[in-house]
This record gives sequence, C-alpha cells and structure tokens, in this order.
Amino acid sequence: MRQLVAVLALLWALANIVMSFFFITGAFTATTAAKEGLLAQFSLLGGGMLIAAFGLLLAWECSRVLTSRGGSSSS
Amino acid sequence: MRILTLLLVLAGLGLAVAGVATILGQASAGAQPWSNELSDNFVFIKAMPFALALGVAVGLLGGSGARRRAATRTDGSVRRFSRTSILLHWLITLGFVLALPTGIWQYLGGILDVTAPVPLYTIYRFHYIGATLILFCLAAFLSYSWMSGDRSLLVPRGQWSSHLRGLMEELPRSIARRLAGLLGIDLREPAPAAGRFTFYEKVVSFPSWSFVLTLITLTGLVKAGRFVVEVPGLVLFISSTLHVTAMVLIILKVLDHLRYTIARWPLMVAITTGWLPARRAADEPIAAERSGSAAALHGSDT
Repeated sequence: MRQLVAVLALLWALANIVMSFFFITGAFTATTAAKEGLLAQFSLLGGGMLIAAFGLLLAWECSRVLTSRGGSSSS
Repeated sequence: MRILTLLLVLAGLGLAVAGVATILGQASAGAQPWSNELSDNFVFIKAMPFALALGVAVGLLGGSGARRRAATRTDGSVRRFSRTSILLHWLITLGFVLALPTGIWQYLGGILDVTAPVPLYTIYRFHYIGATLILFCLAAFLSYSWMSGDRSLLVPRGQWSSHLRGLMEELPRSIARRLAGLLGIDLREPAPAAGRFTFYEKVVSFPSWSFVLTLITLTGLVKAGRFVVEVPGLVLFISSTLHVTAMVLIILKVLDHLRYTIARWPLMVAITTGWLPARRAADEPIAAERSGSAAALHGSDT
C-alpha cells in the first residue's frame, strides 16, 4: 500500500515539475506576462522555481520509499 | 444535545437540497440570456450560502460526538483523528483535486495563450464544484472545532518558544542550527515532547494551511461576489492576483504535505483509520528526521 501511495505521489510530483517548466519558460516567453510587466514575469519565475524545488523534494522522498526495504511493508 | 444537532443537520440538508434544486431550476429555465459560463457563476454564488450553512451543521454534529470517543485503544493505538475529521479531510482533498488543476489551467492557459480541448465553461464548472466542496469543509472544520473544543493543532498561548525548540529537534541538524541562530533558540535546552501532533505540524504546517486557505477563500469570495454586488476594479485586480498567489502556495503546501506524510507512514494510516498504530510507530524510525517527534507517533500528549 505504501508503495502504491508513493507511486501516485511520484506521478503528482512529476506533473508538478512539468507544470513548473511552463511557469519558468512563461516568465520569459509569454506575451501576456510581458505585457503585465516585470512583477508578473518575476512571479512566474519564482513560483515555477519553488514548485520545481518542492516537486523534486517529494519525488526524492517517493523514490526513497520505493527503493527502501521498509517501503514494501503494507498497512 | 446530539439529537438537537442531528435535527439541525437534517434541516440544513433539507434546505440545501431545496436550495440547490431551486437554483438549478432557475438556471435551466432559460429565462435569462446568459452563457453557460455566466449561468454557472450565478449557480455557484447562489449555492454558496447553502454549502456554508450545511458545513456548519455537519461540523456541529461531528463535534457534538467527538468528546465522548475514547482516546486510546487496548493495543496502545492513539486516536489522532475523529471520523468527522477524516471525512472532511478526504472531502477537502476531493475539492482540491477538482479546484486546483482547473484553477491552474485557467491561469496558465491565459498566460501561455493556449486554448483548452474542452469548452472553458466546463473547466470553470469543475472549479466551482471543487470550490463549493472546499467552502463546505472549511465551514464544517470551524464549527467542528468550536463544538468539540479540539485545539490540539494550535500552539497554546505562551508556548511558542518551547514549540520552536521542539521544532528544531525535528528538522535536519544543519537547518536547525542555522534557524536556531536566527530565532535565538538555545539548542542546549532540553526539547519538550510532542503531543498527538508533531511540532512541524503545529508550528509550520497548520498555521500555513490556515493562512493559504483563508487567503484563497476570501479572494475567491470577492471574485465570485462581483456577480451580485459591485466590486471596484482595483479590489478585483488585487483579489485576482492574491487568488493566484494562494493557488501557488497551495500547490507548494500539497507537495510538502505529501512529502511529510509519506515519510511518516503511521500518519498516513491515521488519516484513514483515525488511529496511530502504536506498534508501527515504534517499529518504523520515520517519526521525524531525528528522535524528537517519536512521542508524537506514540501519541503521548503532554
């Protein structure tokens, strides 16, 4: 059970990391953000980087559970 | 008292069903020349008081029975969550599953100037359904807490410094040392034992959840309220900006919440069964990065 939850959480983390890519690239390429100004672009960049960092932390924790022997316990 | 609250819930449920039926009847009557999206906006804003009132009634019912429940079992397990808390936790999770991706799409779709493969009103519709669930749960959580008197996730008055000291014990050593220096915490002092909830949950997680949920709710209410009352443009602009900020913060909170609980499996078990399994808590060295929160998983309340 714990491994199933870890797999689902890993998928969630990966989806968030992909989304953070759009936040970060949008900060430089999106015309709407460029029109709104530097603050909007900086927010996209900052938000994207934070989401990527938190996503990576979750992905790392999930991979730790999936690769550890304790991860096979079920309850 | 219990019968009174049960009657209150039944009355609230009856009113909510009647209210939703009336609202949907009005929306489908075709009397207004509104688009699907605008019609959904009105359905959402009109359904909101019913969702909040029903949430209050359900919270009162759950809270009225919470005091009578046993805190421990013979096998040493400790009650961490009541049935009402578990139900509301999973309902609000469902609310987030609906509201968060649809909110992200509305924001990113606009920023990146891309069109969804489905009509935009369907995305808004799911966003509103998720938001209604979240509003219901927030109202229920508040009234539940008031009725049951459960304040176990709050830092008691005058205990912030001891809780911060306890938090340092749960953080990785390198981070704790730096943070303790910044906050002026003496790491030579003995750390207190955690209660039913870890110091991280009480000092970091719960206050930040409270903040982001309050922010997303208030700004969402302003945004939705513009269909029934006039909202100045600047207020709407600020609300929209803060709504997106809260959305990003919730994305971070969900990621952090999952990371924290997956590393401490007994906590994940507790949110499905309500009980912290004592044996598992003792077996698995996942209570915290270090030993400080072991007591939290054993459930000893100090």
